[in-house]
Amino acid sequence: MFRALRPATSVYRAALYKHAAPARPVALTFARMYASSGLDRNAIENRVLDILKGFNKVDVNKVSLKANFNKDLGLDSLDAVEVVMAIEEEFSIEIPDKDADEIKSAADAVEYVSKREDAH
Amino acid sequence: MPAPVRRSGLQQEIISLYRACFRAARLKPQENRVNFQKFIRMQFRKHSDVKARDFATIEYLLRMGKRQLETYSNPSIQNVHV
Repeated sequence: MFRALRPATSVYRAALYKHAAPARPVALTFARMYASSGLDRNAIENRVLDILKGFNKVDVNKVSLKANFNKDLGLDSLDAVEVVMAIEEEFSIEIPDKDADEIKSAADAVEYVSKREDAH
Repeated sequence: MPAPVRRSGLQQEIISLYRACFRAARLKPQENRVNFQKFIRMQFRKHSDVKARDFATIEYLLRMGKRQLETYSNPSIQNVHV
């Protein structure tokens, strides 16, 4: 039963390799872009605001850069933890507890992410 | 510059535990992650009526929470039902 599958796998693998070879220059350009410039501030702002809008506890109309998670958006400390965790996932970074506690508004989050060079 | 939020040690511990729980949930299979998140929220929220001064209860719940986290951090646990 499994032996019958084997030729199929090798064909698939060959296809994979064929595909991988021309992809190499693309990977190189990508690395260069990543090293030279950080993220565009506007893009960070939009992504952070979108995360907030995605929370079902948050009133979409109240979302703004200056909005404080607690005072303006009505999020408690546990919700704020979830917001910061969502930001971590969005930008593929890990935010240490100490820094996470200081992020209390969208503007704080944007500021923090823009300082992290490994964010993408 | 806004003054840093003053939190009691216990409150800080709860927040750290909450974060640790969500980090543990990230290591679970993608399709079950939502279940873990729901479970974690439920476990924390169901005690939201505990008084802030009731240190004994809070400390007890923290210990319980930590033990529970240890349990479901085990990679063999793939899903949770709520």
